[in-house]
Amino acid sequence: MYLNLCFLYSVISKLLDPQSAAIVGASPKPGTVGYVLLENLATRFTGRAYPVNPKYDVVELWGRKIKFYKSLLEIEDDIDVAVIATPAPTVPKILEEAGQKGIKAAVVISSGFAEAGNVELENWVKAVAKQYGIRLLGPNCIGVYNAYTNFDTQFLPVERAGRPPPGPIALISQSGAVATAIMDWAARRRLGMGFVVNYGNKADVTEVELLEAFAEDERVKVITMYMEGLKYPGEAKRLLDTVRRIAPKKPIVVYKAGRGSTAAQRAVRSHTAAMAGTYEMYHGLFKQAGAIEASSVREMFDMAKALATQPTPRGPRVLVVTDSGGMGVQAVDALEALGLEVPEVPESIAKELKRELLPFAAVSNPIDVTGSATDEHYKIVLDMLLPTAFFDMALVVTLMQVPGLTKNLAEYIIGAKKYGKPIVAVNFGGSELVQKFEEALEDSGVPTYPTPERAAKALWALYRYSQVRRRL
Amino acid sequence: MTHPIVAKALSEGRNKLREDEALELLRHYGIPTPDFALAHSEEEAVAAAEKIGYPVALKVVSPQIVHKTDVGGVVLNVTTPDGVREACRKIKAITKTVPYAEIEGVLVQKMVPKGVELIVGALYDEIFGHVILFGLGGIYTELYKDVSMRLAPLDEQDAWDMVKEVKAYKLLTGFRGTPPRDIPAVVDIIVKFSRLLEENPEITEADLNPVIALEEGKGAYVVDARIYARQI
Repeated sequence: MYLNLCFLYSVISKLLDPQSAAIVGASPKPGTVGYVLLENLATRFTGRAYPVNPKYDVVELWGRKIKFYKSLLEIEDDIDVAVIATPAPTVPKILEEAGQKGIKAAVVISSGFAEAGNVELENWVKAVAKQYGIRLLGPNCIGVYNAYTNFDTQFLPVERAGRPPPGPIALISQSGAVATAIMDWAARRRLGMGFVVNYGNKADVTEVELLEAFAEDERVKVITMYMEGLKYPGEAKRLLDTVRRIAPKKPIVVYKAGRGSTAAQRAVRSHTAAMAGTYEMYHGLFKQAGAIEASSVREMFDMAKALATQPTPRGPRVLVVTDSGGMGVQAVDALEALGLEVPEVPESIAKELKRELLPFAAVSNPIDVTGSATDEHYKIVLDMLLPTAFFDMALVVTLMQVPGLTKNLAEYIIGAKKYGKPIVAVNFGGSELVQKFEEALEDSGVPTYPTPERAAKALWALYRYSQVRRRL
Repeated sequence: MTHPIVAKALSEGRNKLREDEALELLRHYGIPTPDFALAHSEEEAVAAAEKIGYPVALKVVSPQIVHKTDVGGVVLNVTTPDGVREACRKIKAITKTVPYAEIEGVLVQKMVPKGVELIVGALYDEIFGHVILFGLGGIYTELYKDVSMRLAPLDEQDAWDMVKEVKAYKLLTGFRGTPPRDIPAVVDIIVKFSRLLEENPEITEADLNPVIALEEGKGAYVVDARIYARQI
């Protein structure tokens, strides 16, 4: 059993992290899917790329001669993965050749299968893959983006669809378009995403196996999942068991789109059936499994960013430090609505704080260092309170528009990480200082958000995850 | 593993368990229900009531009647033998307004004191398998969808989580002077119900409604159960 699992992981990892790839349907014609795939894999992929297309022989591209193979069987070297982007009806035969060549993994980009009503063709593809022991991702998918090796089967050109830098977040997406949009967005924000996978029609490889592969990969710290719905009988139980096993070791954040209730479509005889919409079942599954559920794509990454960089808190008590009373109030509202606590500062410490801060500073919690504050004031508060047993995490609001604050404040906030408790920052504005400040914090692992609500939700995710871990 | 009660109903071509069968099935899995007996005549009903002890409730048992209260098929708080006879006659008279109903008997059931009314339910879904639902009983549950769900089989921790997850949880811990309820007894019902579902995959839908949670230390009881199954 153990050996079998190892074998399974190694084949899935060939799919996600191959050393060599054949591109069936590669093309030298700009503007085609086959061209983008070839460009990705021939110019940026750190492994070996082998274009396959019988129409071409040797073509000069990107200043070098590129040899096209007539078929997979013509390639002499070993191939880890076949990337297939030819018309749907040709796929079974190509897969058969892949099988004969001994290729164990395939990404089928092509569409025109079950999603277009061609269920039989998809079943045929499935059967061929099974016959040759090929693990198949897709069909009808954008496949894999591996930021470490640039194994990239995303067929939209880099100029249009950015690719994120390597980093601790992995994304498993049911939708290809959503995955593309997320990558582009993450690239612009320099959010590190080591892996993005879209499984399309899920003829063979499922989210469960991708979860297992990412659970094993040390480079992945947080797994994010965009889901629209499961499709196979009994699948929910497998997902539950897998997530439940992985979640205590590695956080899984999931966003389920499509929350409309389908209860009305059931033949309802019982109260239970009347109340049990499909979304409610997913919601129950995620809770039971210990996945952290987000209510939008943005929220999913707000949470993932915190989970990837912060330790887990011991409890729900939040220290709020702010230079704006208004932002402090908003933070408290948001934190308390999520079930987190904002306890008062014990009197003895409050007295001491009062001596160190400005006379009109508020020293309960939230601690308002006021608009006249300097960088030092934040440092005093964090050093005096965060290492105490009264607080489990900190939310630091830094409106940099006030005159006394400088970029140095980032150093103080980053320095407070030594206390081993989660810290998130709220920083809002458009000036260059604001942007530089935010970059400094984020680059040193202090997740920064434009509003108190979003920062509060990130802290909630950390707290929720601490509860998931406790169940281990 | 299928329980003989479920197997028998299915072998007789019935997809819905009779009230007494449903309650009996729950008992076999250790789920508390108030004492009950199925009576086929007035005198059997009186004897049952005497044995169970007053006050009792009498409920019509008929495969054609789904909403018993709506047709006058439930008489509550009966305290004397004459009361039992009268209730039986009242229930028999249902056939005048619901001529298609075949009355198989009358369920005589010990009355449970007032408590917080809850619902524990289950549903079979092809992708999810058995899903268990928990919520407050009554119309507000449906209105606000204040329910929690988990996949079966669940463990004790899951059951605690799902009880604590609903907003109505405050009603169980004591709210505005109402006494705290026997929450462990409710959790215990959910865990045992999960075991029942696991061993009876034929079940398609089930409502344990109401489940009455009494004061701390006094338990929780399933007063009504509707269980549907199909041959697999």
